[in-house]
Amino acid sequence: MDKADPNTHGREDPADLAHVYELFATARAARPALPVHLAAAILDDAAAQQPDGTVAALAPRNTREGFGRWRHLLNAVGGWPAFGGFAMASAAGLWLGLSPPSFIPDPVVLAGLDADSQRMPFDGYEMAMVLSEDMQ
Amino acid sequence: MTAADASDELSDDALLRLYANGDRRAAAELTTRLAPRVYGVAMRVMNSHAEAEDVTQEAMLRLWKMAPDWQPGAAKVSTWLYRVAMNLCIDRKRRARGGHVDLDAVPEPPDQGQSAAERMQETARQDALQGALMRLPERQRQAVVLRHLEELSNPEIAAIMEITVEAVESLTARGKRALAAALAGRRAELGYSDG
Repeated sequence: MDKADPNTHGREDPADLAHVYELFATARAARPALPVHLAAAILDDAAAQQPDGTVAALAPRNTREGFGRWRHLLNAVGGWPAFGGFAMASAAGLWLGLSPPSFIPDPVVLAGLDADSQRMPFDGYEMAMVLSEDMQ
Repeated sequence: MTAADASDELSDDALLRLYANGDRRAAAELTTRLAPRVYGVAMRVMNSHAEAEDVTQEAMLRLWKMAPDWQPGAAKVSTWLYRVAMNLCIDRKRRARGGHVDLDAVPEPPDQGQSAAERMQETARQDALQGALMRLPERQRQAVVLRHLEELSNPEIAAIMEITVEAVESLTARGKRALAAALAGRRAELGYSDG
């Protein structure tokens, strides 16, 4: 049985209301069950009204779209594993170009070119002169 | 931990956000949590299965529509839903009866005589309470149902009914006194011993 309601500041005699509290307890113990067809109708409504998942996104919509374009590009090259391999190959190429190991032949020599800067067809000064003549 | 356990631990706010983000299981969990409570209150207030079903479905529909715009922490989802349901009940009563409660339409509690069957006695008790509830003014009935059948706190009822806590106290106190008067003398009939 319920206790007397403390929110009523003792204005009621609990003995007079005992019967009512007993009936409240009986009613609480036998709450009406949700009809199955009503639950199905509610879930149908929920499915019909459900947003597509972007409306209530935590991030601003345009930011997510921008990120989506990068994701499409990443997927096109094979995803994160392919991107990782690409990055590693780029780093190795850069290292070989800047500081090639001694056992690797110089690609300039292999191409039949002389590495002497004095004999290059256009060094900085001559290139400037050629370009200034072309402008005239 | 199973997915069901995880959803049990989520707040109504979180489930509503999941629903808005396309999670269908969130709708099922919210329906399981909230719809029976709304239906129970609507049944007590409307005294009609059909009306209670309509109110419950409409209130839940408004919840789904509101989900994308819900501000977590601004209010309890259940409080918001109860308020919608109570307002729907009031609207339906007004439309049906031109703003007046028709006491003649309230079914009389069945005269069960001295039935020995426990089930029949319980039904008689529920019918007696429901009949007495239906004789209360609309707002008193809502306050009593929310306080004593749904066991909500007075501040929450105040938020649902958009009145002060003091007004809730007054409504429930007067409602209980009226119920006691309406049910006076029926203790023995309903199988309760005196004392």
